Amino acid sequence: MTNNLMPRTVSSCALWLLLAFASLDAAAAAAPASGPGFSDSEGCLLCHKYPRIGRVTDEGARRSYYIMPEVFAKTVHRNVPCRDCHTEIRELPHKPVTRGVTCDTECHSVKNPATGKPFSHKPIYEAYRASVHGRDKQAKGTDGDKPYCVSCHTNPLYNPQELAPPAAITDRCTLCHEDRNFVNRWYNHTSRRIREVRRTPEQIVQLCSTCHDDQKMVQRHQQQAKVDGRPLGAKFPIAVNSYEESFHGKMVRYGYGAAANCLSCHADRKNYYLSVHEIRPSRDPKSPVHADRRLETCRQCHTRADVNYASLDPHPTSAKGLNAFRYYAEMIYNIIGNVVIAGLVGLSLFETYGRWRDGVCWRLLHGSSWRRNSRRGRDRVV
Amino acid sequence: MKLSAEARDVVETCMRQRRIGDKERAEIEAVIAALPQDRVLLAKNVVSNPVGDLPRYSIHIRLQHMLTFTTFLTLAFTGLPIHFFEAVWAEPFNSVLGGVGITRIVHRTIAVLMVLSMVYHLMTITLGPWAQWRAGRLDWRRTMLPNWKDLRDLRADVRYFAGRGDMRPEMDKFNYKQKIHYFAAAFGNLVMVVSGTSFLFPEFWNWLLPAAIASEWQELMRLSHPHEALLALLVIAFWHWYNVHLAPGRFPMQWTFLTGRITREHQIEEHFLEYLRNLVELPEERRAVIDMLESRELVAEAAPGGKRR
Repeated sequence: MTNNLMPRTVSSCALWLLLAFASLDAAAAAAPASGPGFSDSEGCLLCHKYPRIGRVTDEGARRSYYIMPEVFAKTVHRNVPCRDCHTEIRELPHKPVTRGVTCDTECHSVKNPATGKPFSHKPIYEAYRASVHGRDKQAKGTDGDKPYCVSCHTNPLYNPQELAPPAAITDRCTLCHEDRNFVNRWYNHTSRRIREVRRTPEQIVQLCSTCHDDQKMVQRHQQQAKVDGRPLGAKFPIAVNSYEESFHGKMVRYGYGAAANCLSCHADRKNYYLSVHEIRPSRDPKSPVHADRRLETCRQCHTRADVNYASLDPHPTSAKGLNAFRYYAEMIYNIIGNVVIAGLVGLSLFETYGRWRDGVCWRLLHGSSWRRNSRRGRDRVV
Repeated sequence: MKLSAEARDVVETCMRQRRIGDKERAEIEAVIAALPQDRVLLAKNVVSNPVGDLPRYSIHIRLQHMLTFTTFLTLAFTGLPIHFFEAVWAEPFNSVLGGVGITRIVHRTIAVLMVLSMVYHLMTITLGPWAQWRAGRLDWRRTMLPNWKDLRDLRADVRYFAGRGDMRPEMDKFNYKQKIHYFAAAFGNLVMVVSGTSFLFPEFWNWLLPAAIASEWQELMRLSHPHEALLALLVIAFWHWYNVHLAPGRFPMQWTFLTGRITREHQIEEHFLEYLRNLVELPEERRAVIDMLESRELVAEAAPGGKRR
């Protein structure tokens, strides 16, 4: 017990030490004259407004706990009081946090306008937990490799289209809603959904590749699956490479967004936004790429696809163990290609040598090449 | 020159098909007799115009070559950056061509043009010989059709290149090299068209083929299209361009693909049987070669008035 407490005690000391240094910045970090831009009724910025607030973890990593008020004021969570998510904190100064924030917490201060109930990401969170990516916030080992909500939901703050909402629309709203900031926020909130602001196909492939193309991570999961005795998809280790080799991959790479990206097939188009959270392995009958559903998935784009079409491999590979036919076909092609080129180049060189011995040479002018004396004697009569 | 049995047969066939009269026949025989037995000496001494002396390709064949040449290179340049997507040059090259949104349209449009060019060529090589056959002038040896003589020519040529033969073989209008190249290109075109359609119309091909091979077929086509394209490009770069541009005697360029005419020197060296037909068909060629032989005192001894050789 003592052993467990010691590092935490050290961490806490470090935290307060840093806080002491951070206090030197207090004057510089004072909240702007116009206020933080969000409601800090809980007084969290008392400490977290200091740029150097943070700690060094037991593993030696430096963690910053600095909240930039003007930045937080622009995030999607700006209206949520801190303790609605940071539920572990009950007094100030608070004790070291052990559990962290999970995204299934109910917000007691924000009501879902549709149901009147406390707002929560719980339904989508549960779908995610049931997916192949589902994990605990604090998961370790191979589960810790899996993406958590924030791995994908980075909520970028900069959106040029939202910097200046069109006055032609918002002017009308302000007549009743009075507060232009409020109107602008609502305009941006709704117009973002209308514009379908989401990752481009290239960004989706890039996002999935951050994990699926990490060979060390892939190997860890293969080993763990072996230990657990559970199956792992045959294409799991080569998912990214084989996709990039495919027509879909090449088109997306070159910016042709109509070609299929990872989510076009692995998520259900009918309920896309829920489905992207509940990605399932292809052996799961609910997966859009399960053998029984593959045709239906192909037909989303290839409307005339039939059963044969659905048997085509969207992750082509020449790995011997996965596609022996392609492996040997490619080998034969390579042999033929090399032999043909070597044979033809060899014949050309041989021919040049033979003709050169007979006096043929390179000439630019006069339209004739038989100008050099031949070793065989039969020379041009000058 | 005393003709070989093969060459004699070519000359006789040509004279018969063209209904050459006795007087002209005697004139042709006299010219042939005056040719030196050593064809190398003949080829070395004739005067050649670099842009070509003797007819070889019709306007149709030249147009088809231009179509193949432009469509093939455009297809290669728009297709290879997609296959070699990881290469350093692929992305900038693709961007220079307008990006994949443009190149995919260009690639497909030019592919259609290439198919039309193939159809044009098929019409030429069927209707042309048909017209010749109707006129009683068709000699199959003068076409691209391969025959056993090609193998004998290859063997004789290799002996000559190795220094074990005195002269290159008497080859016809299309020699073994050209036949290899032609059929390789024809086969390659077919592969590209079939594999290209299996990408453009995958649903059709999968509907057409039995389930047992549909997937393997597509895999094979996915391999065939880029492999064949790359092979063709390498053959063009290392063999075709070498033979028509860089080889000694052809440098800096054979003009045949533009003028339709081949140099006299080249015709005698690599297509001697066709040159004999030229002597039968072109009186002016007979006069030109006799003038040259007499001016250089190369008229064969066996011929009337022969001084040397």
